[in-house]
Formats: sequence, structure tokens, C-alpha cells
Amino acid sequence: MKSFFLAVDIFLCLMVFLCLYRVVFGPTLGDRIVATGAIGTKTLTILVIIGFLYGRVEMFLDISLSYALLNFIGTLAASKYFEAKREI
Amino acid sequence: MLMRDIIAIIMILIGCFFFLTSVIGLLRFPDMFTRMHATGKCDTLAVLMIMAGLIVHHGINLDSFKMLLILVFIYIANPTATHVLSRAAFRLGVQPWTKDKK
Amino acid sequence: MLRQKYEDVIAQTSVRIMVPFVQLYALYVLAHGHYSPGGGFQGGVILAAALVLIFLVYGYDDALDRLSLGTAGRLCSIGVLIYAGIGFICLLLGGNFLDYSRLVSILHVAPPKARSLGILGIETGVALTVMAAMYSIIMDVANSETNNNKGDTAADENQTGEICSSGK
Repeated sequence: MKSFFLAVDIFLCLMVFLCLYRVVFGPTLGDRIVATGAIGTKTLTILVIIGFLYGRVEMFLDISLSYALLNFIGTLAASKYFEAKREI
Repeated sequence: MLMRDIIAIIMILIGCFFFLTSVIGLLRFPDMFTRMHATGKCDTLAVLMIMAGLIVHHGINLDSFKMLLILVFIYIANPTATHVLSRAAFRLGVQPWTKDKK
Repeated sequence: MLRQKYEDVIAQTSVRIMVPFVQLYALYVLAHGHYSPGGGFQGGVILAAALVLIFLVYGYDDALDRLSLGTAGRLCSIGVLIYAGIGFICLLLGGNFLDYSRLVSILHVAPPKARSLGILGIETGVALTVMAAMYSIIMDVANSETNNNKGDTAADENQTGEICSSGK
């Protein structure tokens, strides 16, 4: 079971690297914000599975819940700011 | 025990498939609105599937209840963030991609 | 425009559902500081995050109705008072500054339990101070109005924004 979790983790890290392409080369600003949110969601899944690998599940669950909250607030704040200001 | 592990492995593999679909959509779609469509829906469903698989693997426990809490939070927050972002882009006047525009 | 309400039913409803649970989670992080990642500073930041959610979605005036800037300043000072107060109580009872084992004469528990309760007390003071300070900083930054952004509205114009178009 643990080697299966490790394989899923490596696969998800590969997905994060593919999302980085859209963060760096995205033609518009909205692409970058969307890709950052996607990286955040994949990161919190990786964190929970690492918790299962190391045996301390509850510690990594607390960390991932805090990270989900900050991801959400960051996206809300960025979109409200760019709706108000017309320039970067 | 073995039945529970098999169900957990199947659900985690379905979740990984949806993550792969979301990343392919993010890279290949032509416009910002369509990319938001792919990310907002497929990412949320993938996290739901993986968390449900881990809950089945771990059993009825306090940690499973916390994973249920993460699941409910992602279920509410991720689509709301996508909606707010696309509303901001629409109010700024971004034109969606149409087929004859190329 | 940054200080006005965000006129969107979806965002307002989901924030209204979410805020009490975020505050409860912040209290959990504060109380579990000795065993999980957490403690005073992290709990205070998550408490401030709940207030920032209200400010983002419901506007500047509604957030100020819930916690005014004067009350935030007083909460800041009360947090520092709790921290220093516990230290000075230990000093008055005959030990060093922040020597929690002297608290057994007030609390009537064993010394390890007295140390644990003393640390919980000062973490509560730290959380109050951090929450009030972060809230005041964000409200002050939102209130500053220079000549560049006075009267800036983007709601009802029909031009293409510069930041989200890809140069077509």
C-alpha cells in the first residue's frame, strides 16, 4: 500500500510541474491565477498522502486545511483587486 | 480488509485520472474561460475522489472526520473561487473565444 | 471600489456559511499548539483570516461594524497585558519571570499541569494581539486613498481591460 501511495505522489508532482507551464507562459493574467489555484489544490492532496506515508496523519491534515483556506482567500482577494483597478 | 483496500485503490486511481484530465484541459484549451471550466470542475471532483478513497482506507476514525471536513470545504470553496474569478474577467471586458474567430 | 460590497449572491452565501467554522478551527489550532503545528501565532492569523473574508465580501463598513478600529487597538493591548500579567503573577508568587511552577498555589494542580496551563494562557494573549494587529493593518491599507485611485469604478464601462486581453 505504501508504494502505491508513493507512486500517486510522484504522479501528482508531475501534474504540478505541468501546471507551472501555464503559470509562466500564460498569455493573460487570469490564466496565471487559475493555474495557481490548481497548484494549490494538488499540493494539499500531496500533503495528505505524505501524512499517510509517514504515519502521522492528523498533523498533515491540519496543515492542508490551513493551506486550502489561504488558497481560497488569495483567489478572492486577487480577483476583487483586479476588478477594481484597471491597470496592473 | 482486502475488499476495503481494493475499493480505496480504485477510488484513488479515478481521482488521479481526473487530475490528469484537468491538467490536459489547462494546457490545451484555447481561452481563459474554457481553462477555468476545466480546472474548476475536474480538480474539485478529483480531490473528492481521492479523499473518499483515503477515508475508506483509514476506517471510521477522528482523522476520517477531519478528512470529511476538508472535503466539504473544498466542495464549497473551489467553485466559488472560480465563479468570482470569471465574473471579474467578464466585467473587465474579456471576449470569449468563438469558433469562427480562429 | 475596493471598499464597497461585492454584489454577488454566491460569494456572500458561501462566506456566510464558512466564517463560524473557520473561527472554530482557529480555536482548535490555538489549543493544540503543544502537539500539532499551531499555537498562538497561527491561531491568531486564522482568526484574522475569517475577518478578512468578511471584509472582502461584505465591504469596508460592514466589517467595521463588527469590529471597530478602536476596539481592535484595545484588544491588542489586552493581549499583551495577559502575557505580561501571567509573567508578573509568577514573579509575585516568589519565582522568576514566567516561572509557571509557582502557579500551583493559585490553581491547586500538579506542577506539569500548571506549566501546561500557563503556556496555554500566554498563547491566548498572543493570538488576541496577532488577530487585532493584522486586522488593523488590513483596514488601514484599504482606507488609504491617494490621488491615483480616487473615484475609480470599473463596473459600467465597456472597454477592454488591459490586463486580461491577450493582444488580439
